Amino acid sequence: MATLPTTRRAVMAGAALLPFLRMPQARAKTPGVLTFGLSSYPPTIQPWANSGTAAATIKLMIYRGLTSYSADGKLQPELAESWTRETDTSWVFKLRDAKFQNGEKVTSADIKWTFEQIAGERSTAYFRSEVQGFERVETPDDLTVRIVTKQPTVTLPVWMASYHLPIISRNSPRGQFVGAGPFVLKGQERGVSLDLEPFEGYYKPGLPKLRGIRVVAYADENLRTAALQSGDVDLIEYVPWQAMDAIAANPGLSLDAVDGAFMFLVFNGSKPPFNDARVRKAVAHAINRDDLVKAAFFGRGSGLAHLPIPESSAFYNADFKDGWKYDPALSKKLLADAGHGGGINCSLLSTAQYGMHKDTAEVVQQHLAAVGINVTLNLPDWATRVAVGNRGQYDMAVMGTAADSNDPDGLASFIDGALSPSYVRSFGLKTERITQLLAAGRAEFDETKRRAIYREMEQVAIEEAPMVGLTWRSQGYAMRKAVTGFRNLPGALTFYSGLTFETAAVG
Amino acid sequence: MLAFAARRLAVSLALVWVVATLVFLVIHMIPGDPAELLLAQGGVAPDPALVADLRERLGLDQPLWTQYATYMGGLLQGDFGLSLQDEHAVADEIALRLPRTLELVATAGLLSVLIGLPAGVLAGLRAGQLTDRILSGIAALALSIPVFVIGTLAVLLLAQKLRLVSAGGYVPFATDPLRHIGLLLMPAGTIAFGLAAVVLRVTRGAVLEVLEREHVRAARARGLPAGAIIRRHVLRNSLTPVVTVVALHLGALLGGTVLVEFVFNWPGLSGYLVRSVEARDYPEVMGIVLVVSAIFVLLNFLVDMLYAVIDPRVRQG
Repeated sequence: MATLPTTRRAVMAGAALLPFLRMPQARAKTPGVLTFGLSSYPPTIQPWANSGTAAATIKLMIYRGLTSYSADGKLQPELAESWTRETDTSWVFKLRDAKFQNGEKVTSADIKWTFEQIAGERSTAYFRSEVQGFERVETPDDLTVRIVTKQPTVTLPVWMASYHLPIISRNSPRGQFVGAGPFVLKGQERGVSLDLEPFEGYYKPGLPKLRGIRVVAYADENLRTAALQSGDVDLIEYVPWQAMDAIAANPGLSLDAVDGAFMFLVFNGSKPPFNDARVRKAVAHAINRDDLVKAAFFGRGSGLAHLPIPESSAFYNADFKDGWKYDPALSKKLLADAGHGGGINCSLLSTAQYGMHKDTAEVVQQHLAAVGINVTLNLPDWATRVAVGNRGQYDMAVMGTAADSNDPDGLASFIDGALSPSYVRSFGLKTERITQLLAAGRAEFDETKRRAIYREMEQVAIEEAPMVGLTWRSQGYAMRKAVTGFRNLPGALTFYSGLTFETAAVG
Repeated sequence: MLAFAARRLAVSLALVWVVATLVFLVIHMIPGDPAELLLAQGGVAPDPALVADLRERLGLDQPLWTQYATYMGGLLQGDFGLSLQDEHAVADEIALRLPRTLELVATAGLLSVLIGLPAGVLAGLRAGQLTDRILSGIAALALSIPVFVIGTLAVLLLAQKLRLVSAGGYVPFATDPLRHIGLLLMPAGTIAFGLAAVVLRVTRGAVLEVLEREHVRAARARGLPAGAIIRRHVLRNSLTPVVTVVALHLGALLGGTVLVEFVFNWPGLSGYLVRSVEARDYPEVMGIVLVVSAIFVLLNFLVDMLYAVIDPRVRQG
């Protein structure tokens, strides 16, 4: 039984397959076309809906709003070349000579139409209630728009920069949305990839520089990193923290990371024990944030012991830097004062679907145990976690996100107890003074006075702890050295980095 | 025979209906609201009024039995409905993705037989010897390493270190046939790694058993060449259990390639199912589970028919 013909045949068949396996860098790259590894395929690219940061990045390629941000995070004119405030409630935007991707001019009628769609009855626009706060939109001429608001709104120009407020042509075919951004969506394969081409009529001369963008969704963070390292893609977003060191050390790659998003805790304020500010503060002082950054984010981030106002912001208050500093003794004292000297048993809601949420919950659990708060973890999938959070079926919960903008008004979502119940903020927790201060800050046009308002707001927040800051987490893009002109925008604006695709080039 | 076929067909259809109903109930029972999720992307608070509006538009505010009746009514007309996320037709998406998963599973099956069968025959023929021990050892190892470990290691070694292949992805065959096959071989090879071990073990067992049979001994006594004995008498008789086992595994893989599809970014049906569950996209989840289970039921039906043709006693029962 020495001869084995079957084996020989199998070996030959295997050998025949080998040439297919050897495909050294057979990537069919087109010069000037950038391949971008996205973290997930956007559920929809409807321009005004909030369908996540992946969708937002694509929207920033296709659409533009009245204002936007420069690469260093400053608010800048976009489709509007300038704006002025006539009264506390009246703003005038002067449009520049720009074209939509259907070749038509961007006119004041398009702006008005856009706002009408957003405020419309069946609209699912993220800014629907804000735009419904417009008294009226006037169009004195083709290139002038006057927005009259019901309440004084200092943040109006910031809203206009939101990736949820792009201007769309009023002559868009039904169900389609024609924008005025630097790239045109040419094709997409649902769940897999999107192909974009430059818009020749883009209003900025010489831009965009790229001859195209191929966006490929890589849901697995390790594969996304591998795709960059093996040369399949030129640029990736959401660089996993554990891979940042390796990428920074790779001479062919560069890492652009900023502390942008943050992790925090929210509470169920509708029942004991967390309806008591002392207990919430006790939690805030029980957590060693340096440990958390090391354990959950591989040291890529920094502690956050105050409200998430970045140091680079004009509204940053250095004296509150350690507002919720790690102090287990104080924590125990606060618990005893609140009548919980014997300890507390409660649940902590997070999700096992995202590693950073789960790891954060586990570290928090350890630190709370040290002061006598015994936490049972509840880690369902994300969908369940959102539902449970919205219904207040928890004691304490881990959250992670970025603010809407670097303006402190963006914090309202997380600390304004007058807003409707939501998983992103504490449940059933009234924060009257904070609500008042947020309203005052929104209506105050004097920058110095505004700063004083938000200073007081942070002071109140540190005492009442409607949320407890845990860490800033590093938010990174990584790219081949051949990619130039792409920038990670600072702070909360990190998810606006897609704006810089217009200046990006690939060698 | 016709009556038997009709009976089996009725049972099969009833099975599909039961599956559809069960899946409908289960997916609606687990917490998580598609409208809420759709508006709560990116960690921001959706306006409850918006959520209510969207629920109404998607028909999610209707009583469960109304939704059930509507869905079943649609199914009877061959309509799988639209995705709750972007109103894309579910049937189109399944038609796009099912062939990719079938291709992956079929290639993995082919590769595993190409590797496992000869290796199994060799191990069987050399039972107890060093070759057998090495092959069986490798098989035990291959069986015990999860696919995501093999997949990740393959990406690390072949794509990142040696840069022989892409780290994963998908290119349609029509666009670039060579690249398509290259991208297919990594995930297929990963599945085949474990599957080949199964084939090897079953083949080895079958060969050992057949070798003991009298007709093989007789053939040997007649002085037939070893190759002819293996080909004509041993291999052919060992194939039955191998085919059964491979077919069973391939069936299970139809909805079970999630990890491999995820690791290699292969846009097949399994990954689609996971994303649909995460988004609580009811029509998508229902559609995919229904199609997969219908294929299962159909295969079973065909097997029943085949048995009946082979063995008349089955028809009576």
